[in-house]
Order: sequence, then structure tokens, then C-alpha cells
Amino acid sequence: MEFFLPIAHMDVNIVLILLYGALVGFLSGLVGVGGGFLITPLLIFTGIPPIVAVSSGSAQMAGTASGASYLHWRHGNIDFKMGLILLIGSWLGGGFGVYLAKVLLRAGQFGNVVVFLYVILLGFIGVSMLIESVRAVFRAVAPAASASAAPSRSLLRTWVERLPWQTAFPASGVRMSAVGPLLLGAAVGILTSLMGVGGGFIMVPVMIYVLKMPTKIVVGTSLFQLLFTTAAVSIMQAGINHSVDPFLALILIVGSVLGTKLGARLGARLPAEKLRLILALVVVAVAAKMVVTLVVPPSEIYDMTVEVR
Amino acid sequence: MTRRLRCLLFVLGWMPQMPLWAEEPLVVAPATSEVKITTDFAGAELKAVGAMSGPGELIIKLVGPQQEVTLSRETKLGPFWVEGDRVKMENAPSLLYLYATAPIATLLSPAEQQKYGLILEGVWVRVEPQLKAHAASDWRKAFFRLKEKQGFYREDDHAIRVFGNRLFIADMRLPGDLQVGTYTVETLLVKSGKVAGHTVGTFKVRLSGIERWVWSAAHDHAWLFGSLFTLLSMLLGLALNAVPYRRTR
Repeated sequence: MEFFLPIAHMDVNIVLILLYGALVGFLSGLVGVGGGFLITPLLIFTGIPPIVAVSSGSAQMAGTASGASYLHWRHGNIDFKMGLILLIGSWLGGGFGVYLAKVLLRAGQFGNVVVFLYVILLGFIGVSMLIESVRAVFRAVAPAASASAAPSRSLLRTWVERLPWQTAFPASGVRMSAVGPLLLGAAVGILTSLMGVGGGFIMVPVMIYVLKMPTKIVVGTSLFQLLFTTAAVSIMQAGINHSVDPFLALILIVGSVLGTKLGARLGARLPAEKLRLILALVVVAVAAKMVVTLVVPPSEIYDMTVEVR
Repeated sequence: MTRRLRCLLFVLGWMPQMPLWAEEPLVVAPATSEVKITTDFAGAELKAVGAMSGPGELIIKLVGPQQEVTLSRETKLGPFWVEGDRVKMENAPSLLYLYATAPIATLLSPAEQQKYGLILEGVWVRVEPQLKAHAASDWRKAFFRLKEKQGFYREDDHAIRVFGNRLFIADMRLPGDLQVGTYTVETLLVKSGKVAGHTVGTFKVRLSGIERWVWSAAHDHAWLFGSLFTLLSMLLGLALNAVPYRRTR
């Protein structure tokens, strides 16, 4: 069933978009990842302009994160002080990223940058997850993070401890410099506006291993930060680049909410290692598909874009 | 679908004019004055009905409003194919359909075809920035190839049906993602290799309904639209996710 998207100015199959949303929601319910890193490439594969894919993805994440954040807030899992500092960072980073997107769009390089960032990011995450989950499945080793990165983590930790503006975060039971979370937030904000990802895959490990926050609080706080970062980026993309397609975002939200429920139900029955293996395979497959489109000579080297009508 | 969103496309005010010069009378009128395109509609079927004074061949030229497009070309960077050069193509019609009762090349001399703009790839397109002739020609060739591939430039010598050498009906099929603006329909009556009659009409195409509203809101009130829509997304997510969860607990 074809559906006209007014901002992307193209027809899409509504069922296909709904399925994308459901697939990402399903994975997110199954293994607890946000899934923004899958939505954007899938939309780009469908022919949606990268800037519209990234921007509408932000709006979709703001939608899906609001429900989950509400639940964590009810359970008292959000460190608001930490969340606010992260937010200030990610709003600054997000604003810079949206501006960078505008500059790249003008130079005609936005598509290239997004695709390369995705290949690097998905390749890195996918392969490291694949190695870890294959190890976990076959050796039944506890799925904790590998110890190989420990030296760099402790180095980073020492560096964070030396920064100014030491502040106490009672909800998380830690004391550290506010500069650490500010920089972390800024890095994640840039990724949100350039790639349409929530950045949970960076935020969560850094908060657990570097900032030494309790896991329960980490998930709630990172969701809180994600909600307001994606919301701010979505507003900025709409305001500066006119690139949020409301119909696309709404279809994705409905799909992902339904998918999340299904995924969460199934996730409760499947063993954790196998779930991570499934996710790793999906991530590697998307990365591989992107590499293929980059490497295989295109049948038509010219492409036409109609300027805003 | 409860919220069926409609993309309405109006073909308004078709204004057939009298022949520009009066060798042979030729009258053309559309069979419909309004075409509605719903979301599952892939294009519009437009009919033009006309009358001519006696036997002859017909050519109908349908020209869409001018459009600015950006053309990009992939180049090889190491092992990768990436987006490389890009140019703007200006002044080209968004759509160009040439309908005729026989192949146009057999009806008119090349000079006559040129005079009436009846050669698909003869449209003058400005390439910005200005390039050397052979480089610009590569881009123009690519432009016409893509336009034809996407179904916006087309020549069809079977679309006009003539009845009793007097009446004719032209079936014009328009694609779904039309450029909005004024379209021109030029009808030419050809006799013995010469244009014997000529009439021009116009119609307007505009987006209507919610699509039009969303598009204007997103461009004219971008920040307000972005803020309200993001808030709406958050509320929708909350409603879909949190409320049913609470009920089940």
C-alpha cells in the first residue's frame, strides 16, 4: 500500500515502514537496545533521503523513549542531576551536529559522511558483539564485558578524576567532575544529529565502566537523556533543515511500540546469549549491506534530486 | 485505514484558447476538470477530447512547470563508490510528454520539430556551475536519461485515438509525484508535413488536503511545527507504551 510522504516527497509502502519500526522495536524489546542505528540504514536503503531518515528517526526515538522513560521515572531509576548535565552536553553537541549536517548538505557530502560513519560504527559494534556472544554461547562463559579493554578504561577513569568541577551525584552514589558527563553528552549529541542514533551503545558502557554508576540507574538516566536529546535534535532538524517527515515518524513509532511488546514477551523466554548473538548478526548484516553498496560499482552513477518544491 | 490521508490533485481551470492562427480549426477540451489522488493512487489519468476539421495527424505536447534539480555523480575513492561532483540543472520542465498519432519524426521535418519543441532531448537545460561544452553535455545526457527512466519525459505515438477523422481522445497518464504548478497542453494538427492548426491550454496542479498543510507548516513555521510534532510523538509514545503497561500491572 503506497503512502505519500510530504517532506520526503515520495511514495513509500506503509506496510514496509511499519515492519521496519516493528523489527527495530522487536530487537529493542528482545535485547534492550534503542535500535536507532538500524532504522536509519533501513530507511536509506528504501530510498528516503539520508537527512529525512536521520531527522525522522530522531522524532521516532523521542516517541518511543518517552514511554520507557516514564516507566523508569516511576521506578526511581533516573539520576536527574547526572541526566541534566548529560543533557546540557548533548544539546550543545546536538546543536553543533545539526549545523554540521547543514554545512555537509550544502557541500553535497551528507550522504557520504552518514554511510561511512555507519559502516565504521556498525562494523565495530557488530563484530565485537559477535565475538563476545559467540564466546558466550559456545563456552557458556558469563557474558560480562571482556577484560581486554580494562587498561584503557582505568586510564580514562584516572583522567576523568583529575578534571575540575568535582560534583557529588547522590542518586548514583558517585562523585566526579561534571566535565566527564558533559563531554560524553556532547559526543552522543553529535552522533544523534548526524546519524539519527540515540547513542545508548556508547552512553551505557561509559556510565557503567568509566563513571562507575549502578546499572539500574544507568539505564534510566541514559533513557532520560536519550528522550530529551532526540526531542531537541528532532526540533532542530525540523527548524533548520525542514527534514522531519511527520508521517514517516508516526508510522515508525506505532510499528516500534508494537514490536517492542512482542520482543519483550519473546525475550523473556530466550536465553540472553542467544539474543545477543541474533542482534550481533543483524548488525553485521546491515554493516555488510552498506559495505556492498559502497564497493559494488553502481548500475547508474548519476542520481537526481528535486530541489524543494 | 481510519485516518486515510488524501493527496488531492486538482486539475483546475483548463483554459483552451482559440488557435493562435486560423488555418484549420482545432478545439480541445478536457473530459475531467478535477482529479483526486488518494494515497494508494500511483498517478492521474487525464483525458483530452477534441475536434478537427478533417483528416490529419495530431501531436499533443504536455509540459510541466520548470523545476530545479541537483544531479550528482558517483566517483571511485579507493575501493569505494562515493557521491562526487554535483551540478544544478535549471529551466528544464519537470515533465514533458509528447503524444502523437504516429512517430513525430515521420510527421514533421527536424526543423519543424525543433521549432515547436518536439524533441525530448532538445529541451534547453542550464547547467550550473557553467562547464565546458563536453562536460555539460555529459550531465545533460544523464539528466534526460534519468527523466525518461523515471517516466517524466516520454514520447508515445499510441495515446491519441481518432474517430472518423473528426474527433480525437488523448489518454494522458501522469505519475504520482508531480511537480505542482501550471501545466501547458499544446495541440498541433499536422497536414502534409506542416503544422496546420495549433491550440494551447493550461491547467494547474496543486497538492491539497493534509499533505499540503504539512508541507507548508514544515516550511513556513518550521520551529513551531518541529516543537509541536516532537511533543505529539512523545505523547503518542507515552500513550501507546506506558498506559497499557500500567493497566496490566
